[in-house]
Amino acid sequence: MSAHHHVEGQLPHEPERATMEGRNKILGFWIFLGAETVLFGTLFSAYLALRHNIGDGPAASEIFELSTTFIATMILLFSSLMSVFAVQAMHQHKVKAMIGWLIATVVLGLCFLGLEIFEFNAYVGEGHRMPTSAFSSSFYTLVGFHGAHVAFGVLWITLLILQILKKGLTVVTAPKIYVSAIYWHFIDVVWVFIFTVVYLMGKVG
Amino acid sequence: MAAHAHKVKRYRGIMDWLTTVDHKKIGILYLIAGALFFGVGGLEAILIRIQLIKPMNDFVGADTFNELITMHGTTMIFLAAMPMLFALMNAVIPLQIGARDVAFPFLNALGFWTFFFGGLLLNISWFAGNVPDAGWTSYVPLAGPTYASGHGVDYYVLGLQIAGIGTLLGGVNFMATIINMRAPGMSFMRMPMFTWTIFITSVMIVFAFPVLTVGLVALMFDRLFQANFFETASGGSAILWEHVFWVFGHPEVYILILPAFGVISEVVSTFSRKRLFGYSSMVFATVLIAFLGFMVWAHHMFTTGLGPVANALFSIATMLIAVPTGVKIFNWLFTLWGGSIRFTTSSLFAIGFIPTFVMGGVTGVMLAVAPADYQYHDSYFVVAHFHYVIVGGLVFGLFAGLHYWWPKMFGRMLNEKIGQVTFWTFFVGFHLTFFVQHFLGLLGMPRRVWTYLPDQGFDNMNFISTIGAFLMGIGTIAMIINVIVTSAKPRNALADPWEDGRSLEWTIPSPPPEYNFKQLPLVRGYDAWWKEKMEGKTEMTPAEPVGPIHMPSPSILPLVMSIGLFIAGFGFMYDKLIVTFVGMAITLGCMLLRSVFDDHGFHIEVEEQEKGVQA
Amino acid sequence: MSSNHSVTEGEARRHKVEGPRKHIVAFILSLALTLIAFATVASGEINTQFTYIILVGMALVQVFVQMAFWMHMKDRGHLFPIIAIISGVVVVFTMVIMALYWVWW
Repeated sequence: MSAHHHVEGQLPHEPERATMEGRNKILGFWIFLGAETVLFGTLFSAYLALRHNIGDGPAASEIFELSTTFIATMILLFSSLMSVFAVQAMHQHKVKAMIGWLIATVVLGLCFLGLEIFEFNAYVGEGHRMPTSAFSSSFYTLVGFHGAHVAFGVLWITLLILQILKKGLTVVTAPKIYVSAIYWHFIDVVWVFIFTVVYLMGKVG
Repeated sequence: MAAHAHKVKRYRGIMDWLTTVDHKKIGILYLIAGALFFGVGGLEAILIRIQLIKPMNDFVGADTFNELITMHGTTMIFLAAMPMLFALMNAVIPLQIGARDVAFPFLNALGFWTFFFGGLLLNISWFAGNVPDAGWTSYVPLAGPTYASGHGVDYYVLGLQIAGIGTLLGGVNFMATIINMRAPGMSFMRMPMFTWTIFITSVMIVFAFPVLTVGLVALMFDRLFQANFFETASGGSAILWEHVFWVFGHPEVYILILPAFGVISEVVSTFSRKRLFGYSSMVFATVLIAFLGFMVWAHHMFTTGLGPVANALFSIATMLIAVPTGVKIFNWLFTLWGGSIRFTTSSLFAIGFIPTFVMGGVTGVMLAVAPADYQYHDSYFVVAHFHYVIVGGLVFGLFAGLHYWWPKMFGRMLNEKIGQVTFWTFFVGFHLTFFVQHFLGLLGMPRRVWTYLPDQGFDNMNFISTIGAFLMGIGTIAMIINVIVTSAKPRNALADPWEDGRSLEWTIPSPPPEYNFKQLPLVRGYDAWWKEKMEGKTEMTPAEPVGPIHMPSPSILPLVMSIGLFIAGFGFMYDKLIVTFVGMAITLGCMLLRSVFDDHGFHIEVEEQEKGVQA
Repeated sequence: MSSNHSVTEGEARRHKVEGPRKHIVAFILSLALTLIAFATVASGEINTQFTYIILVGMALVQVFVQMAFWMHMKDRGHLFPIIAIISGVVVVFTMVIMALYWVWW
């Protein structure tokens, strides 16, 4: 069955799995997330190997601010919740509610990014830059990769909101919403490890 | 049905090839590009061997020699072997599982073009006068900014990064394809062995290539943004690069060899006219090899001083791989046993593969003995070992596979007489080149050194080795002649040209129509087509009625997207922010277009199917 | 085609009963786990070794909860996603061991 036969109102309960294309997209995206797991795992490994090699630069326990990290964590956690509500609204075919939740997701994502930029800016002021030490290089690469993923997610979900407004919820757009939500949760999961391994353990020493 | 017939522009000629999303055509593109890079890498190999033909030779300088070995290794692994595997994967997998295309035709095209432009970027280094020269492993600090200050290693880093994207996409695509797109009735344990090995290979690609991506990113940051991942002066770790490279690199060699195992399984079974012996043990062995493949990387690093515990663990894990590999060897032998064997070029390569690969495997187990490895390390013994497994394993497998599936890909049988010439010159040349290198290594000849002093016992064996290399070159040229001669012949290959085909690809015309299967077949067991033939049927039982077939539309976006990455690569390398920006804008712009404009595809109506649409 | 739809619509009605409750529970659980982790570090009372154990434990539980509920991995038809993630985790595990024990400078 090709996608465009369906019109709104006739959507199945899980419109993202209604077509072969949709099912392929979800499966392919999960496989991609398996690859992403390894990608972030390698970055974490590099960070773990190099975290104590601070050279002449500041140590983790000197620069990290627990309060900033805590706020960032809360923002991303809320954002992830908004995203799961969006998918639930989609399953109930409540397009307006879905768009609302998606907008909330994006706004919180933007807040997170703003906070991260603010945080990095403060570190640079304290002499903690990319070339400072092996610790700083691996820190910026790991956390920066995560930040880049958030930025991409924000752009992507924004684009999807616009598409939903234009095309409506169909069996073509539904899988896109679904995989972007999975992606967003994945980013949150990676952040759980970042705040644990990088910030909290860094603070402990 | 007319209501949803979309008008889709269908291109002809060169534009057709640039925009195609058809897996069969992408397979051919991979084959052409892979063969091109194989030629380049082969030429580099010949130059290396000419330099080493006699002691104190000055055919090329030491610098050029370093560039040659680096580019030979990198080109052969990433730009020749991988794409040729992808050629076979693309040409065969959807047909073997009874699918009309891969799960993501668009990504398939994107994967090809990113690989191609990555390879192009890497090889442009020859013309830019800055060639990578830190070896295919690019060990730091040699490849770091301090000791490789030119742009040579940048070409390596960015070329492989871009090509790696293509490979990763391919891995994701084929995993999803094999999981989701199998014909009705084809359970996992009814899949042909080649499909199984490609499935496992794709899994390994998905989990190994991100490691390379991160390694290359770290090296790139070190080189371009003064990061300190591997800069020991600022607390970086040189050993970390070795770990990261081999955590990727070791699975990579299994990524190369597993598809060859699959090809050999198909070819041996077909040309012995017997069911593959021990199918389920073969599947299990493949999975086990993949798992162990991720657990043994540090056997490349025994001499770095990881300590006795790590060395012992990796030593044992490495030796364990001999067990599933041995299972495979015995299964092939038992398949041949008592079969009515036909000695076609394809089966000759397969039969030549078995003893050759066993030799490579045995030297592998020798190398796995950590204390002994201190003696072998970085000598020609290692060179002999990995050429036995990669050329004697993978390349023999590729030759077998290409001769076997050529009629399915192109509709023409390759000439058997020239094929025999190819086999014998290549086979003899191969053993001549590399067998003596075992002894050169044991005598103490180090690898990657551009020349050697006379009268150390190296002279004769190096001479023999070079002669062998020329023979391999002749074998390859014979294959090319064969292809040219064949392409002048009429397209008259039958659907089942070997008459003993066992799997689904032999049930459809050679070459298959654009949509592969007019009606998806119903699979009733392992060796689906053989089963039907044995019951006296002349075609598969269809699993669906005849109807219009939905096809994805062709698109130029994959090509443009890859060109964007190619441009951005130059921007990164030469520190031109604007160029990087333009390149990335092109790529992201294409992604945007792809997301915004839905691809409705088009339908091939029943009447058109009757006419027979040729791929 | 139309008969298909009536089936799926019926299904949809049945599914509608399912509210956002489990997601909110998952959220509260995540929140609690995060708070415990931060509080452990902020208090500074507990010794380093034990703090590490608590932190890793909280992170693993939280990730498990989020993956199961929010990423729907507990639902039917998620065999291959589970395999994909677990395979990735196995590879990552070997690399973490490598980073902790076999890298020096």
